[in-house]
Amino acid sequence: MKRSYTKFLTITVAISLSLLIFIVPYAASIEYSLRGNFGKGHDLTNYLWIFRQDGFLSHLTLSLELGLFAGLLNLLIMVPTTTFLHLSLQRYKPIVDFICILPLMIPVVSLAVGAEYAMPQAIQNSQSELIFFYVILALPFTFRVLDSSLSSIPLKTLVEASRSLGASWFATILRVIVPAAKGGISSAFFLSFALAIGEFTITSLLHWDTFTTWTVDISQQNVLGSIALSTFTFIFAVVLLVSIALFASRRKNKFQQIEETT
Amino acid sequence: MSSRSKNGSELVIEGLSRTFGTVRALDEFSLRIAPGELVCLLGPSGCGKTTALRIVAGLEKADSGSVTIDGEDLLAKDASHRDIGMVFQSYSLFPNMSVAENIAYGLRVRKKSKEKIIKRVREMLELVSLESKIDAFPHQLSGGQQQRVALARALAIEPRVLLLDEPLSALDAQVRTQIRDEIRRIQIASGTTTLFVTHDQEEAMAISDRVGVMLNGNLEQIDTPNSLYNKPRTPFAASFVGVTIRIPAIAQSKDEVLVLNHILDISSHAPSLKKGTEVTALVRPESISMEKSAKGSAIITKSFLGAMTRIGVDVGLPELIYAEMSSREARKFDTGDKVELTISSDSVMVSNV
Repeated sequence: MKRSYTKFLTITVAISLSLLIFIVPYAASIEYSLRGNFGKGHDLTNYLWIFRQDGFLSHLTLSLELGLFAGLLNLLIMVPTTTFLHLSLQRYKPIVDFICILPLMIPVVSLAVGAEYAMPQAIQNSQSELIFFYVILALPFTFRVLDSSLSSIPLKTLVEASRSLGASWFATILRVIVPAAKGGISSAFFLSFALAIGEFTITSLLHWDTFTTWTVDISQQNVLGSIALSTFTFIFAVVLLVSIALFASRRKNKFQQIEETT
Repeated sequence: MSSRSKNGSELVIEGLSRTFGTVRALDEFSLRIAPGELVCLLGPSGCGKTTALRIVAGLEKADSGSVTIDGEDLLAKDASHRDIGMVFQSYSLFPNMSVAENIAYGLRVRKKSKEKIIKRVREMLELVSLESKIDAFPHQLSGGQQQRVALARALAIEPRVLLLDEPLSALDAQVRTQIRDEIRRIQIASGTTTLFVTHDQEEAMAISDRVGVMLNGNLEQIDTPNSLYNKPRTPFAASFVGVTIRIPAIAQSKDEVLVLNHILDISSHAPSLKKGTEVTALVRPESISMEKSAKGSAIITKSFLGAMTRIGVDVGLPELIYAEMSSREARKFDTGDKVELTISSDSVMVSNV
């Protein structure tokens, strides 16, 4: 009896401490960001200030677009790559693993300058070059997530079953592998997307302007506004990622749909 | 069911070879399966049976040889264009799809109309008696049910040939027998030419029209289950199919052998056999009968196996000679009794080893 009480107490204290460490800074930020002019009362003045700033919507939209394309491009490259590494190219896995970890080992400045010069001129001159950088930066994370996700399903059997039933490789990846490894693929997309939206160093080094760099610029004008802005960004990111996750996990029984319509 | 499926297709494999590194998995392997026939490839691990099946399915490449269905060359075709249904050893249902969606998959990739797909899915579910599971997902089904759905999915596309790669090995013994019989019923109902790979001889004997025993990448013998059991042509076939008792014997000529003081015909001829050569006779335990005799050998063990009883007799050899008989007949004998053994078959197979 005494032992279970001690266990309960330990767990409660541990969870409470974790929550405190996680919640207190955000609660403090929210409280601080809601302070009115000259520290009097609490209102939404600082949040309304964000939306009045020039370039808020355009920079936010741009970052979302870049994040979306970076996430999709990452999946487009890495899902077939990891699939074939698991199916028939297993001996190349250590090489791909090494290549994917390089972005963590190479200093960001070298990566930015080196990769910039390796790109065609047309891409260098376009803001879309950031998509490629974001994809490269996300590789160490997405590769590992996809690798472990594909290891947890009977990939070879599923692919062979699909192929023997007449499906092309494209259809097999789209209809069988992607849904079967949905969890890992969603995580890889979110990691890539979140990294792209929050990336500052390379964007700044290459003199491009996204929501992150805009946030840094605008924060220097208003201390309370900058706290409101970071709180807003955090809540926005959480809501966005949860929404995408919920949308991705929603599924309907297609056969029932077919039956209902005929 | 289409007429093609009802009539089945002829599968012809000729001179198929495949080497993995230094291992020759298939060595000029040839096999002809008549339309609507169910042939089992039986053999120990590594004998090449699964490689042969995977080459037919297009999941493995052959070094040489040919595979044709109704005269049409298959090896040049991609796996997705062969019109072959396959059921795998491990559970292969798509986990994100319901039973109905799994069965409909092959039809959907063939862009069949919705009405046709629904009709076919219902037919298949009826065939495997799983109508009530139409909306269930694979994780909600038992192992046996999953394999029945896998079979329905493979048959839904009306394949020219059905390939079964040890489909029962993941199931427990009781379910295995039930699904085995069901596979045979469904195969007969659909009339689909079927190649079944297994290492379980009981399974192979129970459902096949013919059984092919494989060793070292080639067929040792292919025959009906009855002939394979009663007239094995090689010592390996004899020892792999059913239980074989090895009894030391002496050749009397190239046609006769002395076993347990009885002269018997040799069922397969060994040209080099000369009179006096020491050989081993391969005898089925149920072919050994016994009678009580005061001068006979002693019964050492008596094991009740249900309908049959196995009796071990010490005839002075390093190992006991085991005889199997109905438990009713075995009531006459007890351990310690003296008996004389006789071999009730007219001929035995001999091995030089």
